[in-house]
Amino acid sequence: MKLSRRRFVGSAAAAAAVAMTMARSTFAIASDTVAVGSLHDLTGSLDAFGLPSHMCMKFAIEELNATGGLLGKRIDLKTYDGQSDIKKFPQYAQQAALNDKVVMLQGAITGASREATRPVLRRYKVPFVYGTIYEGGLCETNAISVNTGSDQQAVPLLEWSFKNLGKKCFYIGADYNAPRNIGIWNNAIAKKEGGEMVGEEYYPLDVTDFSTAISKIQAAKPDFLHSCLVGGPHMSFYRQWAAAGMLKKIPIVSVVFGGGQEHMILTPEESDGVIAAYNYFQELDTPENKEFIKRFEASVGTDHPYINGIAIGGYNGPMLWAEAVKKAGSFNRDDVMAALADNIEWTGPGGKMILDGKTHSTQQDVRIIQVKNRVWSLVETRPQIPPYDFNGRCNLKDNPKNVDILNPQV
Amino acid sequence: MDQTIVLLIAVANSVALLVLISLGLAVIFGMMRVINFAHGEFIMLGGYATVLAANHGVNLWIAMLLIAPVTVGLIGFVVERLIIRPLYGQIVTTMLATWGLSIFLIGAVTTIFGNTMLGVSAPLGNVPIGVYSVSVYQLLLIAITAVLVAACLYVLNRTRWGLIARGTVQNPAMASAIGIDPVRVYAMTFMAGAALSGLAGGLLAPLSGVIPQMGTAYIADAFVTVISGGSAMIIGTLSAAGLLGPTQAILSYATTPVIGEAALLLLAIGLLRVLPRGISGLWQGGR
Repeated sequence: MKLSRRRFVGSAAAAAAVAMTMARSTFAIASDTVAVGSLHDLTGSLDAFGLPSHMCMKFAIEELNATGGLLGKRIDLKTYDGQSDIKKFPQYAQQAALNDKVVMLQGAITGASREATRPVLRRYKVPFVYGTIYEGGLCETNAISVNTGSDQQAVPLLEWSFKNLGKKCFYIGADYNAPRNIGIWNNAIAKKEGGEMVGEEYYPLDVTDFSTAISKIQAAKPDFLHSCLVGGPHMSFYRQWAAAGMLKKIPIVSVVFGGGQEHMILTPEESDGVIAAYNYFQELDTPENKEFIKRFEASVGTDHPYINGIAIGGYNGPMLWAEAVKKAGSFNRDDVMAALADNIEWTGPGGKMILDGKTHSTQQDVRIIQVKNRVWSLVETRPQIPPYDFNGRCNLKDNPKNVDILNPQV
Repeated sequence: MDQTIVLLIAVANSVALLVLISLGLAVIFGMMRVINFAHGEFIMLGGYATVLAANHGVNLWIAMLLIAPVTVGLIGFVVERLIIRPLYGQIVTTMLATWGLSIFLIGAVTTIFGNTMLGVSAPLGNVPIGVYSVSVYQLLLIAITAVLVAACLYVLNRTRWGLIARGTVQNPAMASAIGIDPVRVYAMTFMAGAALSGLAGGLLAPLSGVIPQMGTAYIADAFVTVISGGSAMIIGTLSAAGLLGPTQAILSYATTPVIGEAALLLLAIGLLRVLPRGISGLWQGGR
């Protein structure tokens, strides 16, 4: 296309007009709304974790807006799809911070995506809310963890198991950081409870043949099996375990089973009786939760993915952050984080939660639950499990500059 | 004693699994020199065919033994016609094309069925062996694999169809001169290989479940087995699996699974260093 002078003048004028309207609308947005980012894996292999969490987060924002927003501003939820691809996380975190000017970002469920996202948000002073269960050890002024560290699940679950199931424990986990951390806890709790570890095995994430694992476990004759097997290929273990007739013989306890909707994907013959521990499960029979599920289903319909202990973080995160914002009277990162100093308390679907100012992690109820026919039921509630402070090594009041992930020393 | 039996079953199981996931690849690579990177996805499609059929009320055995191989065989027929045939003789191009196909199939299945799907559980229950118990289905899987290997050997070496196929592979021009259409033979061979992969996927579905990315868990082991096996596709694959499987199983049992996995790869590398033509190079001399 040849660019004539007249055409050029015309399009330049049009562009200027567009630019002016855009400038005006940006200005309008800046005055009465505030942006918040959701960065979850909505597509790709990790969508089983990302979608329910995002759904809960979206609902939390809806509820906040329905009650007048925050500090008189409507919250505008910006959604970014991490696509189960690590590269996308720092890119979107940067876009959220610089372009969309979010005042908070939640998501980045896997440890790897969290570590890719965290430094970017720190650099641009955007608070990072981490909503999932994880191995523990996040201890950074710019970040808050609203779900449980692995010790908050594993310690109550293992204490219960050594008391109720027997003294001999076999631990089988996926071969990466979180399961190995939980292994450290497992050994410590076994010692404390007078139990015995009769085996400890770690399997690469792509293993699908567990026949040697099963014969090893059979040879060790544990009273219970503690499983931290993670992801699609590892679901084979439960199939082969059940096929070998072991499901009815040796009970399985786990802090991750159900997190990837294992109880829905496996058949009841492959999963009945498995015991897990989470801060929340959808069937939880409390007035707060009944009410929450009713409101949630009124918004998204009844045909939604199961809300497990990971997904609920999507709801709890914005709510706890909102409490901090209200206390601070400001969206500014430093003000919000300062407001955390004397602990934030809030009661959600899973009960009372206290966001601890020293660790930026959350004290909450943990529930030991058992699955039957794809439905979880409560075995025992362990009330108000505090976050682990790594023997005093995580103290953001005294050491606000820490950004390192801490490892348990038990 | 019980422990020895159980360990032997675990070893037999790991050999059978390697053979099962490699047979389809062995036929396609061994006969046609086509490096099929979508082999893992053929297994995946077999798994999906089985699970979908079973979830729609089809008898599990029919779903595994009939629907899976037929479905994937037909998919193989289409793939051969559209992608493989125009690229015969161009190994690298075929490799890239089948790699693309693999990505496409994973994407297509994810789009249609999502990332997770309800599975089917293994039939037949279990048998006690002393204090141990073993899945009957797993034992049956070993038996089925043995039958499959025997059937492949029979078809290739004792039937007219096998003779034609082998002849065509060895000398397509001569085969063509005596009135055999090589293009048709290639198409049938590819289809047969695809059907074998589909059958493997169907048989594995109750033990491993189905996810769109499941092929990636098998493709490396399948290639390692077939390449280490060398040019005698069935016997070579069988002997490679017979060496690699026990090494992996016994070391996983005695030490850790990571060492077992690593040992399989190290052994394969060592083997190919000493026998660049694969294990079948041992008895096939300079061919």
